[in-house]
Amino acid sequence: MTSPAHFLDLDDVQRPALEALIVRAHAFKKGVPDAAVRLRGRTILGMFFEPSTRTANSFALAAQQLGAHWLAFDTGGSSMSKGETLEDTVRTIAALGADAIVVRHPESGFPHALARYFSGAVINAGDGWHAHPTQGVLDAMTLVEELGSLEGRRFVIAGDIRHSRVARSSARALWLLGARVTLCGPPLLLTLSAPGWGFADLATDLDACLPTADALMLLRIQKERGDASELPPFEDIATGYGLTPARLAKLPPHAVILHPGPVNRGLEIADELVTHPRSRIERQVANGVYARMAVLERSLRGLERPLAGRAR
Amino acid sequence: MMLKPENRDFVSARIVDPVLGLDAIRTIVVRNGVVTALLDRAPSAADPHTERVDCAGMVLCPGFIDPHVHVREPGETHKETLKTALAAAAAGGFTAVAAMPNTRPAIDDAAKVARLIGDAAVLRGVRCYPIGSVTKAREGEALAALRSMAAAGAVAFSDDGNVTKSLKTLYHAAKLIADLPQPMLSHCEDVSFADALMHEGEVSDLLGVPGSPALAEAAIAARDLLVAQATGKAWHICHVSTRMTLDVLRWARGAGVRVTAEVTPHHLQCTHELLLGFNAAMRVNPPLRSAADVDALRRAVLDGTITIFASDHAPHAASEKEPPLSHACVGFSGLETAVAATFDALPDAPLKTMVGNFSSNVAALLNVRGGTLAVGAPADITGLYLDRPWTVEPANFRSLGKVTPFAGRTFKVRPALTVVGGAIVYRHTDETRASANESRPAARATPELAAKERRT
Repeated sequence: MTSPAHFLDLDDVQRPALEALIVRAHAFKKGVPDAAVRLRGRTILGMFFEPSTRTANSFALAAQQLGAHWLAFDTGGSSMSKGETLEDTVRTIAALGADAIVVRHPESGFPHALARYFSGAVINAGDGWHAHPTQGVLDAMTLVEELGSLEGRRFVIAGDIRHSRVARSSARALWLLGARVTLCGPPLLLTLSAPGWGFADLATDLDACLPTADALMLLRIQKERGDASELPPFEDIATGYGLTPARLAKLPPHAVILHPGPVNRGLEIADELVTHPRSRIERQVANGVYARMAVLERSLRGLERPLAGRAR
Repeated sequence: MMLKPENRDFVSARIVDPVLGLDAIRTIVVRNGVVTALLDRAPSAADPHTERVDCAGMVLCPGFIDPHVHVREPGETHKETLKTALAAAAAGGFTAVAAMPNTRPAIDDAAKVARLIGDAAVLRGVRCYPIGSVTKAREGEALAALRSMAAAGAVAFSDDGNVTKSLKTLYHAAKLIADLPQPMLSHCEDVSFADALMHEGEVSDLLGVPGSPALAEAAIAARDLLVAQATGKAWHICHVSTRMTLDVLRWARGAGVRVTAEVTPHHLQCTHELLLGFNAAMRVNPPLRSAADVDALRRAVLDGTITIFASDHAPHAASEKEPPLSHACVGFSGLETAVAATFDALPDAPLKTMVGNFSSNVAALLNVRGGTLAVGAPADITGLYLDRPWTVEPANFRSLGKVTPFAGRTFKVRPALTVVGGAIVYRHTDETRASANESRPAARATPELAAKERRT
């Protein structure tokens, strides 16, 4: 039922497939001679039901660098907001000739629902709290660049774990590559049971996690999400789980800092640390385009037969 | 055929009646829709005015009563109609159902109660007992006309599907009818978790989906049973789904509260893992919980904490069970699998317990006739095959709702015969669609057909 062309989450992704994506992303970064024609003639539709600059632009750039058409679907004025069913919307999209949909939606599982109806490829650009699989690929790519093998490396993710699709996907990607992942946050914002998601350690004291970390990822405090009965005031997260110069000093000298962006300066990371030499935040953004090129190529070239989603 | 359908001898069956303490081969003699004798032997003389129904191989029980059915009529007949719901009940082995008031409009006054009773009576099949809403339009605030509804035939009161939000309203509702036999039925789910799409646990963690913890059910059960304690009212907790709620029930029993509780087949069988992959069709309220909860519920039946089985039959159109999760309606089509799935979940339960939980205990809860095959009781009979494996094929359901967690499952127990007031409203041997290798039957016995027979 579910086409292997979809890229919905990393739940069923095996290590060799992830490694292949990272290798390919690195290749694109170094330069692939025919990159600009790899997806020539293909149409990729971006459906962003949540505001996104970084991810949407990153996907658009990746599509263009592979020679594909990028079409931004206006979700605000769409017929879906006028009560059209998901199934009917998808039929329309298929009739337009789209080969792939890149979708971001506030509800976990929305891309999976789309995938039921769309015969082309569905690529998840972030669904609710659930997954952001291309972020997982780009984070793994960035750390492989930095550290080489991730086998046995310690990776700490700090902040609001529970409501973070980035945490779910990046933790899984790094764990698939052999890293030990620790999720660190207040008990309310951790997973309900340990190990988290079946594989990650849980911790509530960030300072205790730092001395053995090879990399630390700060999560964005989601000011726009959640409700006050479920999320503590931001200062609670910032105080306990934000990166300060004092905390930076507790990290081993080789350890690097990641953040999925956009950064709330002074909340999850001190202003002056955003561009610190140990920060890889800009590298993540740059690598994001290559990682997404690898994912789009896999989804659209990995198919042997023409995509049924095309109208002609 | 000019037989009087009310006169029948049901011969050669094993009769299990927990009220009579009977488990033996008997013939049930039915005259004018009433049990007139239980005989050791089949009557030898052929009586031209009496149909002899051979029940060899069956267990005959007091008619099963489902205390928790959503008939969807009025207002949502694309999901189910009264007619299809009662046909499904007959095929599922139920001789009576209690209809929850969450129709459109809600059953919240005497006229609506009377209309439902009248509409069901016209169908002349499975009996249908209305449950009235506690509050007007089930909105949880203003008291509905409970005493008028009781006078019109409502057997119980519930805002099922919703919680009666206001404690003050619930307290006053219980006091308003403290002198009446109709129990209060509680759907327990704290409203502050209304955004939840599933059980809060490892699966919701993995999927990143907002969940409702066991606490959200148990806390309301505790609140409502405190109202029962304060008012002395008989109370019933619907579809218990968590260990924590069982603890609340045990506390209430110990404190002398008049309380019963029901459990559904899906909560005895299924866990939240069924929602992996965002399987929206498996959404139900209360949600499917953990394996530990399932185990605890099974043990609670065996130790008598739970004494009633209910299907929580909640049919929806196929398109209403599609993903994403937030779009999918909650509930399953349950009437046609409830008996088989419940027996399957509890292989170690004594047969008399199983039968009592489906019949006499429900009759006692709702203060309705039936629940026994004693002489003088209405001839409402459920016949079962205890070992006739069959596979659930939702396409064959009489219910318009086809979504069930049991599709493709094979169960041993199969409803074989459903008799209401002496009339056969369902007979398994009349099935054609279920399996090609079964013998070609005569006409299907449905409530409509039974009604036609009676009119002729």
